[in-house]
Amino acid sequence: MQQTVSKGYPKRESNIIANNIETQVPPELSHWLDSVAMQRDKQAFTALFQFFAPKIRRFGIKQLGSEAQANELVQETMTNVWRKAHLYNVDKGAATTWVYTVMRNASFDMLRRIKAKNEQNLGDDIWPIDMAQDEAQSEESNFGDHLMEKQMLNYVNTLPPAQQAVVKGVYYQELSQEQLAQQLGVPIGTVKSRLRLALAKLKQQMGEQYND
Amino acid sequence: MIKHHPTSNVLSGFVAGDLPASVAIIVASHVELCRECANHVQQLTEQAAMQAFDMTADDDWLNDQVQLGDTSPQHINDIDHDGIDSNDMELACDSRAMIDAITASPAQVKSAVAQTVTEIEVAGQRISLPRAMKSIGLREWQGLGKLSRARLALDDDELRASLLHIDKGGSVPCHTHKGFEITLLLQGSFDDEMGHYTAGDFIWLDGDHTHQPITQEGCVCLTVSSDAIHFTQGMSQLLNPIGRFIY
Repeated sequence: MQQTVSKGYPKRESNIIANNIETQVPPELSHWLDSVAMQRDKQAFTALFQFFAPKIRRFGIKQLGSEAQANELVQETMTNVWRKAHLYNVDKGAATTWVYTVMRNASFDMLRRIKAKNEQNLGDDIWPIDMAQDEAQSEESNFGDHLMEKQMLNYVNTLPPAQQAVVKGVYYQELSQEQLAQQLGVPIGTVKSRLRLALAKLKQQMGEQYND
Repeated sequence: MIKHHPTSNVLSGFVAGDLPASVAIIVASHVELCRECANHVQQLTEQAAMQAFDMTADDDWLNDQVQLGDTSPQHINDIDHDGIDSNDMELACDSRAMIDAITASPAQVKSAVAQTVTEIEVAGQRISLPRAMKSIGLREWQGLGKLSRARLALDDDELRASLLHIDKGGSVPCHTHKGFEITLLLQGSFDDEMGHYTAGDFIWLDGDHTHQPITQEGCVCLTVSSDAIHFTQGMSQLLNPIGRFIY
């Protein structure tokens, strides 16, 4: 295990530029996180633990002021890394940034518990660790597409071209049916019937999945 | 268009986790609405992560912590390449036990249902609340003329966080702040002597500022304040007892 870890370590030279993430962070970190997420890979977790635990402990001593609290922070942070690794998304940032977020959140909540005897955990609400659910990149959750715009567009694109043009004109370009008829050079009755057909077809397609 | 943002210092403190909970929540709520600050926070987080997990900075800190084992840089190289020496054996055993305990626990169950957006209804309008507030309850709304306020059920020393609604055409009499007051405009707009504010604007005022917010269309704000506000002009000074209300 030591070998696996050490090969990922960057050279210990002081001239490594702090803001160049690529040169400092072992590229294995995100693979390890992935292996934990996908395969519950204990070896990969052990490697992550060996990289991060001493640093988290150091951070904890600085933030929380005692060795015991620092160890608790290691336990808390690494437990969350183990349990929530699937929330990390390699496309959205470095593994170190994600683990930092998990650690800072745990530390914030611990500090509130110590100082204010407050058991309410707020860290993950204030600083979301769910990169998968953030913004548009979430294919798995509906949250990033809660108006179903992307999904609707997929459906619309399966329509025959003539119907597509009408639907896109009315719903995406917000043209009136008259304007559209003029633009397409067809009678308004044709626009209306194409729209009716298109909507029926969309309804049918969506009904297969959203049957309520 | 958001024009008023937290300062870089505030964002750094936010990223470091150094701000009090209610201030962190109002900053997070702004960041959620403001792409510019979200990008800034992302950068600051990357930097903070590099610092916390920086290999090159290990030496000084480690030397302070004798219990963590022998810590000369040379020695770390030895550990990395040759395995663990006796000094670190105890630590290694602890680590092993911790790893075993952690990996025995199951993964968090992926919630199949998307996170519901928390909404409230104020004056007939639905307003979605910031994500940072989602597990914090709201106390009952209390009204006073065109002002109404609901405190956040959040225990944060002397700081108070509230949702404040000012109805159409309402205003808060000219006042100053003994401590500080942070306002995040969630919906609507208001004006004061210093400018016009729209949804997403983040306004941090302290005792140096005096202002009289007026809203034409009505507005809903998230506010955090450290002390009662103090009314400064004419008749409105009679209102100073209600400064406690708004705070």
